[in-house]
Amino acid sequence: MKPVVILVGADKGGVGKTTITRTLLDYLAARNMPARAFDSEFPRGALKRFHPKITEVIDLETAADQIKVIDTLATSDVKVSVIDVRAGLLSDTLKTFTQVGFFDLVNAAEFNFILFHVIGPSIASLEEIGEIRPYADGRDYLLVKNFINETSFFEWNPELHKSYFDLAKDTTEVTIPKLNEMAFEQAELAGVPFSAFIANKTADGQPSGNSLVLRGYVRTWMSHIVGEYDRIGLIDRLSDRGVATQAA
Amino acid sequence: MTGASLAAIVTSLHGRSGKTLLARALVDYFMLSGGRPYVFDTDAVERGLHVLFPGVARVVDLSIVRDQMLLFDTLAQPSSEMRVVDVSHHSLTKFFELLRDTDFIAEAQSHGIEPVIFYIPDCKADSFEAGVILRDRFPDCPFVVVENAFLKAPKRSVRQGPAYKALKPHKRRFAMPKLADDVVEALEDRSLSLGNFMRQPMSSRGETPIPDGLPPDLCIELRDWVFRIFREIHRIMVGLAADDAASDPIAGTPWVADAEDWGPAFDPGNSRRSRTILDKILGKP
Repeated sequence: MKPVVILVGADKGGVGKTTITRTLLDYLAARNMPARAFDSEFPRGALKRFHPKITEVIDLETAADQIKVIDTLATSDVKVSVIDVRAGLLSDTLKTFTQVGFFDLVNAAEFNFILFHVIGPSIASLEEIGEIRPYADGRDYLLVKNFINETSFFEWNPELHKSYFDLAKDTTEVTIPKLNEMAFEQAELAGVPFSAFIANKTADGQPSGNSLVLRGYVRTWMSHIVGEYDRIGLIDRLSDRGVATQAA
Repeated sequence: MTGASLAAIVTSLHGRSGKTLLARALVDYFMLSGGRPYVFDTDAVERGLHVLFPGVARVVDLSIVRDQMLLFDTLAQPSSEMRVVDVSHHSLTKFFELLRDTDFIAEAQSHGIEPVIFYIPDCKADSFEAGVILRDRFPDCPFVVVENAFLKAPKRSVRQGPAYKALKPHKRRFAMPKLADDVVEALEDRSLSLGNFMRQPMSSRGETPIPDGLPPDLCIELRDWVFRIFREIHRIMVGLAADDAASDPIAGTPWVADAEDWGPAFDPGNSRRSRTILDKILGKP
């Protein structure tokens, strides 16, 4: 398997990038696909709190940390690198990746690349589709609709909805359902991967005291997400099979 | 199962099936046995069980997450106390969705708690279909078919239906003895505790003393009914402890079917109406 970079990002904040990244890391672990994670929310790092053993906090605006990610892709034993891009940095990161020649290497089939563009139900978020689209042409671009509340991404206004989503009509959409707020908060508080929360374990594998009901909400929510990742053939996309499928 | 604490889930598809009466009998039985059961009433409007046990039964509104937590987190809490939940027909869908989504059965069993579904079908076909679906959806949970002799017997057309036939041979059964109308009235008296009633000594004439305000003949009838239902509970408890589903319920129940009624097995997936009930009970898959 070739090294693969999964970029999870959005220019708008608060759309659930870190949450999506956490679900991806859980999904990959469950599929026996080891991954390393980079958290570009420098210096605090929201992701590291949940996946400390595999996460490194980096500043993607510095050349040193860009090297830390890109130059190690070929040499790392772990073939999947997931980057949780800090809010506001998605366009800049894609620009940087273009400038350093990363996409040339993707075009040369040295690496695989998947972009998870997370959008929320706001005009500001939808406007990003047009901004990100030029970087996504010919790439594995996934538009992730994160239902962080009870909205419908303006589906009630077909013209408005069409005007934004037509820009991405040839892309694959991934739907992330809403998670009950209390369940989300308790999982946040627990500070462990969703899989550990569901299993009622602490970070060091000891039994925890999380609510059975809230764990149930997270379990159901995760099973929907796993269903979505299976539906889009995420594991195939990570491998050369995915590339072949896309080319076909 | 031996030594496990029981979590009795009493439910039915429709109202007026005797759920609260059975839940009440279970609570009184456990109290009479010296326990302090956890009791929950999921009917946040009528609060039937709460009214009978105001200091004991907690009312939970399953549309509220905090109440869901109160119910299921308490039910799964390790403790030797028995648990009784009166699941109203209004809360049936939500309750079993939560039961499924929380993986409650496995969690409870890992804490030495044995959930048991007491399901009361009535005379309608869909109540049998719902019973089969519930039984088959939760195969790890002991399922008790409750035959309430007070309810009308199902018509022949219902008895010839596959769901009825699928539940008929179910071995673990509970017989709720028939009640005379005046005993029903006496039972509706909120201040009457079955446990206290049974603790009272019989008079030399075989009657209970007057404190309950019940006429002597009613006392005898009520005592007989309580004795029979407690005996059924005891029989089920012993059977569950021994994991023995084959014990027979007391006679005189309305479960009727002729030999020629036997037909193809009930398959929820083959019936449009059953799929609707399945969706109703457990939401969309």
